[in-house]
Amino acid sequence: MTFVIACPNCGPREALEFSFGGETTRRAGPEASEQELAGYLFFRDNVMGRQIEWWLHRDGCRKWFLAERNTMTNQIERTFWPHERGRTA
Amino acid sequence: MSARRLPEGPDEAILRDRPVTIEVDSKLIHCFEGDTVGSAMAVGGITITGRSFKYHRPRGLQCMTGNCPNCLVTVDGIPNVRACTEPVRGAMKVVRQNAWPSVGADIHGWLNFWSFMMPPGFYYKVFHRPRWAWHAVEPLIRSKAGLGFAPEEEDHRTRERISLHADVLVVGGGPAGLAAATEAASAGANVVLLEQRREAGGHLLGEPGGRVRAAGLVSAATDVGVKLLSGTAAFGVFDGPIVAGWNPDALYRIRARHVVFATGAIEQPAVFPDNDLPGIMLSSAVDLLVNRFRVLPGRKAVVLTASDGGYGTAESLQRAGASVRVVDLRGEVGPTPTMAGLAPVLGATILRAHGRRRVRAVEVGPPGASGGRKIPCDLVVLAGFAVPSTNLLSMTGAKVEFDDHAQAFLPVDLPPTVHAAGAVAGSRTTDGAITQGRLAGLEAAAAVGHGSAAASERVGLLRLQAAADGDPVVLPPETGLGKGKQFACLCMDVTNKELKFAVEEGFDSMELLKRYTTITMGPCQGKGCMLASQRLCGKATGHTLAETRPTTARPPWTPVELGTLAGERRSPRKETTMHDVHVDAGAEFMWAADWRRPHHYSTPGREVEAVRQRVGLIDVSTLGKFRVKGPQASDLLERLYPNRFGDMKIGRVRYGAMLNDEGVILDDGTVCRLTEDEFFVTVTTGNTAALERWMTWWLADWGLDLRVLNVTAAYAAVNLGGPDSRKVMEKLTDADVSKEAVPYMGCVPMDVAGVPSLVLRIGFVGELSYEIHFPSMYGEHVWDATMEAGEEFGIEPFGLEAQRILRLEKQHVLVGQDTDAESDPYEAGLGWMVKLDKPDFLGKRALIDLEAAGPAERLVGWTADPSIVPPEGSSVVHEGVWVGRVTSARRSATTGKTVGLAWVPAGWAQEGTHFDIQFGTVTIHATVALKPFYDPEGTRLRS
Ligand code: FES
Ligand SMILES: [Zn+2]
Repeated sequence: MTFVIACPNCGPREALEFSFGGETTRRAGPEASEQELAGYLFFRDNVMGRQIEWWLHRDGCRKWFLAERNTMTNQIERTFWPHERGRTA
Repeated sequence: MSARRLPEGPDEAILRDRPVTIEVDSKLIHCFEGDTVGSAMAVGGITITGRSFKYHRPRGLQCMTGNCPNCLVTVDGIPNVRACTEPVRGAMKVVRQNAWPSVGADIHGWLNFWSFMMPPGFYYKVFHRPRWAWHAVEPLIRSKAGLGFAPEEEDHRTRERISLHADVLVVGGGPAGLAAATEAASAGANVVLLEQRREAGGHLLGEPGGRVRAAGLVSAATDVGVKLLSGTAAFGVFDGPIVAGWNPDALYRIRARHVVFATGAIEQPAVFPDNDLPGIMLSSAVDLLVNRFRVLPGRKAVVLTASDGGYGTAESLQRAGASVRVVDLRGEVGPTPTMAGLAPVLGATILRAHGRRRVRAVEVGPPGASGGRKIPCDLVVLAGFAVPSTNLLSMTGAKVEFDDHAQAFLPVDLPPTVHAAGAVAGSRTTDGAITQGRLAGLEAAAAVGHGSAAASERVGLLRLQAAADGDPVVLPPETGLGKGKQFACLCMDVTNKELKFAVEEGFDSMELLKRYTTITMGPCQGKGCMLASQRLCGKATGHTLAETRPTTARPPWTPVELGTLAGERRSPRKETTMHDVHVDAGAEFMWAADWRRPHHYSTPGREVEAVRQRVGLIDVSTLGKFRVKGPQASDLLERLYPNRFGDMKIGRVRYGAMLNDEGVILDDGTVCRLTEDEFFVTVTTGNTAALERWMTWWLADWGLDLRVLNVTAAYAAVNLGGPDSRKVMEKLTDADVSKEAVPYMGCVPMDVAGVPSLVLRIGFVGELSYEIHFPSMYGEHVWDATMEAGEEFGIEPFGLEAQRILRLEKQHVLVGQDTDAESDPYEAGLGWMVKLDKPDFLGKRALIDLEAAGPAERLVGWTADPSIVPPEGSSVVHEGVWVGRVTSARRSATTGKTVGLAWVPAGWAQEGTHFDIQFGTVTIHATVALKPFYDPEGTRLRS
């Protein structure tokens, strides 16, 4: 993992400075069915191509943000704050 | 001075006024600064530089450029150093390898005659039956195999890891690379140039007049700001692309926006019987020895060539006083002045070599002839059969395609940020390489935003000139004739015959041959054998060279010291601000995550007793501490914990455990409400970073209006515990510390020893106790003041071990020790904190099911006879079957028993259930005790 990620707070940095939080998921709330719970806990889309995922700028500003990454090329298409999700995701 | 040393020459790189003496296998060699161990060996007349890997055949200098396996020696205890490129230092001790008792008289030379026993993959085939045979011979084979010996002493050299970012990275500091770097830097780009040798200049360094020219190119580059890293080899290209480079001091990760590969070409040996004899060299070696180091490697030379390049080497030798015969594969050559004097044998090749410990003669005749003219000689030069060094380029994803003119695979389809220039791209003249280099440099600079109209005009011009140059390449025949081993791969001692057999056995492609015969897998990584292997494979399978692609290129392309890859181990070591006081008090320390914490001061038993009877003090600064502040602070905690916090009063403390959405316990700690919208949260020492990530992650997802601040390092903390602790507190503060003012599970800000502090009444150790948090800079002061105030009450400092006994006597669970990645609060006995009637919290959905199903296992306390303490991890067994495990066990002096916690079948969670604990061959009887072993009603900690 040797690509560059643009932290929305700090700018472009080596991926080594970041921690991966996995693809975004839909959390199973208290009303969720057993199936939905299992899906949320144990299953991932694992797409080949672009996916939105969580990243933490661990060795920098320690902020969590979202990144759209191409899982085949490690190309980061964009990064954005969670509150910008509605507009852009 | 040795008779082999030539008089001063214009291109020499040795300092004759600085003599150096080195020792090679106890032979002293007098040489000069600027020599390498290899050139010094040549000066000292040492022709056998080592013994071969499998057959222990004598081998000598072949390439002088660090590309072959022949000169690996042990230098001052470090094995596998390449003699030919290792500069001499005074008092250096060099030992030649892979021979016993000595390289000169290696008794394992007999292996050479038993080689029919060792076909490729012989260890897969021979010694299979009877079964014991392999076990009998394995140690012998292993002792014979391998190169050098790992040094016994610890390696104390420090190696850094350096990350570099550049606009343009140029790999290779020959003429093409230097030209590329210079152009790119002149255009304004920030340029890094990696050169594997200590001096940049590439093949120029061996050519007459080349050193001056190289120096000019180097200063042109450094003048315009090129960062030249010489002696630093690129060994791999990774995703990014990131180029990895190394030298003995550092490992480099270089990320550049554009990379120019000017990695040159590597000269190849020819294959004929006994082609590995010492004295058979590549022209690069001879050029360097004669011109750079001024040593004459032989007096009677035969030069095999198929290009005009070989004549340059021949001429150098002649000028140095050797007699030279040139054998030219080409049927006719254009008349040039040089050739006239050398009277080449045209249309011929070397059919075989003769000699035992070094070459004595060669047979020369037309390719394919059954015999030829024997020419006596002590030096054979193989000149001008070079293969473009495309390996690093291939790691970028570039493809290679066969080029007829070059008789080689050349790079095509380069990724958009990758360029190739010079010999690696098919250029075969210095001027051609420089032109290609310039072009690549300008293009790369323009691509990173340093272009100009003038530059693009020059690009157009250079493109026209940069087409491949040089005469068509002629390769020597794939093999020679007659008996005698014809080596394709010197590293692994693989001959043409062995390759042929392997193909007959069905390993009929390069990738299969590689894995089966280990060709190209030795120290040279294919640098000197890929071409020969491809050609022999092609020949055996009826394919052309063009159809026989090289094997996949993988890092490391050049050998890298393991120490460099390991780098410096920087493991964090944290000390609290009271550390020195603990040292002075004679504490024994232990690791607790990254922290150094006192394990005990006197004895754990005595410390436990002090806390139970009087008063004790422990440094708990390592606790993870967070301030959670903002209008929605209680909302965050309500969602992060199964506990309820919304209704919590200011000044109260609550114990809570965080769960994940599987319902698994992540951590536990305390939560204090400081104000309406501020909480102080503590978590387990080792979990702090992970918990910070966890809390801020959910905060980011939920977008609540508050801040979470990790204040672990900002606050120090001590726990003052024991029946007399209130008396000590009274001396330390003017504030009211009575039961009413600071009740159990209350928290009050107050000055302690004059330091503004937050005091929590919690009871991890099971006694009246005060956990005091305060700015960490006052660590020593508060500790000292407390110890002083407690002196009259017999206060004792206590360490982690005493604390563990104290907490175990209270059956307080240690998350991570007593729980694991599957433990939920119900089975861990923490079900009381779960408020399923809250609208939502992490883990709620899973807990609904878990509660309904009921636990299958339970974490319970148990007691046993005090004579024995089972180790943690011991098995809980039922009728000989494993049904659970012990997670904690200690001898409790307070209760006079061995006490512990264990996971047992849920049905056993009844007061008084008897069960067995087993470890090794020992079985002990234990009894379930659901209440704390000590002060079950908790009156002491509430007092
Ligand atoms: S002679 Fe040193 S590596 Fe070839
Ligand atoms: Zn950042």
